[in-house]
Amino acid sequence: MIEIKDLSYVYPNADEPVLKQISATFPRENVFAVLGQSGSGKTTLLNCIARFLHPTSGQIEIDGKDIASMDELEFRHTLGVVFQKLNLFPHLSVLRNLTLAPQKVFDTPLEDARKQAREMLDRLGIGDLADRYPAQISGGQAQRVAIARGLMLQPRYMLLDEPTSALDAQTTQDFANWLTELSNVTSFIIVTHDLPFAQMVATHGVYLTDGNIQATGEVTDILNQVQQPTS
Amino acid sequence: MRKYKFNVSMMWLLLCAGLFVAMTRPAYAQSPELQADNKPLRVALTGKFPPFNYYNQQGELAGFDVDVANAIGKHIGRKIQFVPTEWDGILAGLLGGKFDTIIGSMAITPVRARQVNFSKPYYHSGAQLFVHRDNPAQVYSIDECDGLKISAVLGETYQHYLDENHPNIDVVTLKSSVEIFELLQQQRVTGFVTDRLVGSWQIKQADRPFVPVGGMLYSEDIGIPVRMDDTALLKQINMALAKIKADGTMKRIHQKYFGLSTTADNAGKATMSDAVIARKLLKGFAVTIGIAVASLAIGFVLAIPCGVILNKPKGGMLILYWPVRTVVDFLRGTPVLIQLLFAWMGLGLSPFTAAIGTLGINAMAYMAEVIRSGLMSVDQGQVLAARALAMNHLQTFRFVVWPQAFRVAIPPLMNCVVALTKDTALVAVISVSEVIREAQAIISVTFEPTKYYFFVAVMFFVVTFPLMKLASMLERRIAQRGFNHD
Repeated sequence: MIEIKDLSYVYPNADEPVLKQISATFPRENVFAVLGQSGSGKTTLLNCIARFLHPTSGQIEIDGKDIASMDELEFRHTLGVVFQKLNLFPHLSVLRNLTLAPQKVFDTPLEDARKQAREMLDRLGIGDLADRYPAQISGGQAQRVAIARGLMLQPRYMLLDEPTSALDAQTTQDFANWLTELSNVTSFIIVTHDLPFAQMVATHGVYLTDGNIQATGEVTDILNQVQQPTS
Repeated sequence: MRKYKFNVSMMWLLLCAGLFVAMTRPAYAQSPELQADNKPLRVALTGKFPPFNYYNQQGELAGFDVDVANAIGKHIGRKIQFVPTEWDGILAGLLGGKFDTIIGSMAITPVRARQVNFSKPYYHSGAQLFVHRDNPAQVYSIDECDGLKISAVLGETYQHYLDENHPNIDVVTLKSSVEIFELLQQQRVTGFVTDRLVGSWQIKQADRPFVPVGGMLYSEDIGIPVRMDDTALLKQINMALAKIKADGTMKRIHQKYFGLSTTADNAGKATMSDAVIARKLLKGFAVTIGIAVASLAIGFVLAIPCGVILNKPKGGMLILYWPVRTVVDFLRGTPVLIQLLFAWMGLGLSPFTAAIGTLGINAMAYMAEVIRSGLMSVDQGQVLAARALAMNHLQTFRFVVWPQAFRVAIPPLMNCVVALTKDTALVAVISVSEVIREAQAIISVTFEPTKYYFFVAVMFFVVTFPLMKLASMLERRIAQRGFNHD
C-alpha cells in the first residue's frame, strides 16, 4: 500500500505548486492506475514516489514506511520504475542491461545474474533478444526489456510511466494481456492518460486534475465521472 | 748629406743604364723567363686578416693568402717576398711600385678595377648571417630578421650593408667578434653578420655552436691585383691559379683553414652523410613521438575530471566550475607557442618539462571540452534509469554515462591526438631536439630545406594517417552497433 499524505510540490523558481497538498492511498493491487491529462501533475507525482524529486511538503509511505527514511538499496528493492522513454542503456546488450545493476550494485556473481536475466527474458517471451542492442529491437520489445530490467531487482511495486505511448493498438492489447499475467507477482502502478488502456488492466485508480485528486475509486466510475461534460 | 747626393747621382746613372737596356732589348725585358731567374715576387698583405693572412705563434706569416701566394710562386718559379702593408695604403703602394702584387684577400670592385688589373678570382666570399645552433628565433635567412637583434663589428662594411638594406633589423655593433660571440652564446642577439669564411674560421677557432644560415647576403670575388701595365705578371698569375686549382692545391689549402669545401669552384655546400641524417631524423622523431605520447597521456587523464566539472555536475564539484572553465578557456584562447615560451623562459622549466607540461595541459583543455560535450550528449534519462536501478553516482558515471560519452567523444578525441602530435613541431622553438630541429640542423648544413622538410612531413603523416583511419573505423564500429540511434 502506498500512502500519499498532504503532498505538495513546487518546482524551483515556479510560483504555482504542481501538486497541491494531495492525499491518496494506492492499495496493493495487481495494477493500479494514476490517471490524468497532460500537465495534471501525474509525472511529478511519479517522480516524487520514485524519489527523483523531494516533495516540498508532505510525505509518502510504502507499506507503512516513509520512503524518505529508507536507504537506497532497500528502496529500489521496494519500488521499480520504467520510464516513458524506457531509457535502456544503448551501449549495452539486452542481457547486459539486465545484469549490470545486479552485478555492480547488488554484488550478484555475473554468472548468476546472467542466468537470472535469461530466465527473466524467457518469462517475458523475449529470450531471443538477449544479445541484441536496444537500437536493434522494436518499441514493444524494448518495453518488455525495460520491465525485465526493473524486475531484476524484484521490487514489490513497479511504476510504469505512460507505458502505451509508443505502442500501436495491437501491441497495446498484447501488452495489456501480458501485464495482467505478470501482475500476479509484482504490483504495477501505471501512470497514463490512456484511459481505455487503464480500463483494460486496472480496477482501481485516481484521477488527477491540475494538481488535485479529482476522483478516486474504480476506474470505470472515474471514467464515467470525468468523461461527462464539466458542470 | 754628401753621401745622400752621391747616392742620388748613382741612381741617375743606374736609371740611364736601365733605360738604355730597356730601349735596346725591349722584348727581353718583358720575358717572364728572364725575370724568374733574378727577382723575387714582392707580394703585399696586411698580416692582420686571419685566417687569410696573419702572424702565427712563431711570429711567421701564415694563412690562406700566404699559402696561395707561395703556391703561385712555386708555379711561376719565383721566390715570394712578402711586404706587410697597411690596408689603407696598399693600393697606392702597388701603383707606386713598392711591390708587384697584393695577395691579401682583396675584393674585386669596379672602383678598384679602374686602377688595377685583377686576376681571376681565387676565392669567393661575402656577407653571411650566422646564428646559434639552437636558433630560438627560428631564423633561416636575413629576411626573417626584421625586429631582431643582429650583431656586426663596428665600422665594418656589414654594419653599413645592414643599415642600408635591412633598416628594420636592430643592428647591435660591437668592437670585435669576441664580444659578438659572447653575446650570441648568451643568446642575447639572434645572430651576426660577417664574412662567410672569416666567420666560419673564427667559429671553428673559438669552438662555438654557431652555424651559417641562408645564402650569402652578397658575395664578393676575391682577386689578385697587378698594375695595369704588368700584363705579363697577370698572365702568369692566372696560369698559376688555374694550375693550383687543377692539381688540388687550392682545395687542400681551403681544407686546411676552413675544413669545409668552400672553394671558388665549389662554393657553399657542405655535406652530411646519409647515415647521420637518417639517425638524426629518426632520433628526433622518437623524441617527437615520446613528447606526444607523454603529453597525450597527461592530457587525457586530466581531461576526464575537467570535462566532468565543465559539464556542471550537481553537488560540491560546482565550486570548481569557474576555475576550470577559466583555465580551459585561457589555454584554448592563447597560442601554444606563447605558452611554450612562457613555461620555458617565464617559469624557467627545462625544455623537455616545458614541452610535455605545456602540450599536456593543452591536450587537457581541448580534450576536456570534447569530453564535456560527450557527457552532455548523454540523455539525462540514462542517469535516472541508473538511479532507478540503485546505482550510486560513481557507478552511474562509470557504467552508464562515461561509456556513452566516451564513444561519442572518440572521433573528436582522435582529432585532438592528431592535432597535438602536429603541435609537437612547435617545441623545436624551445630547443628540444625533436625532429623539426634535427631537420633544421641538417638543412643548415645541406641547404636542402625542400627535401628534408618534406621528409619530416612524411614522417608525421605516417603516424597521423593511421590515427585518422582508426578514428573513422571506430566511428563506423559504433554506428554498426546501433549506438547512434538510441
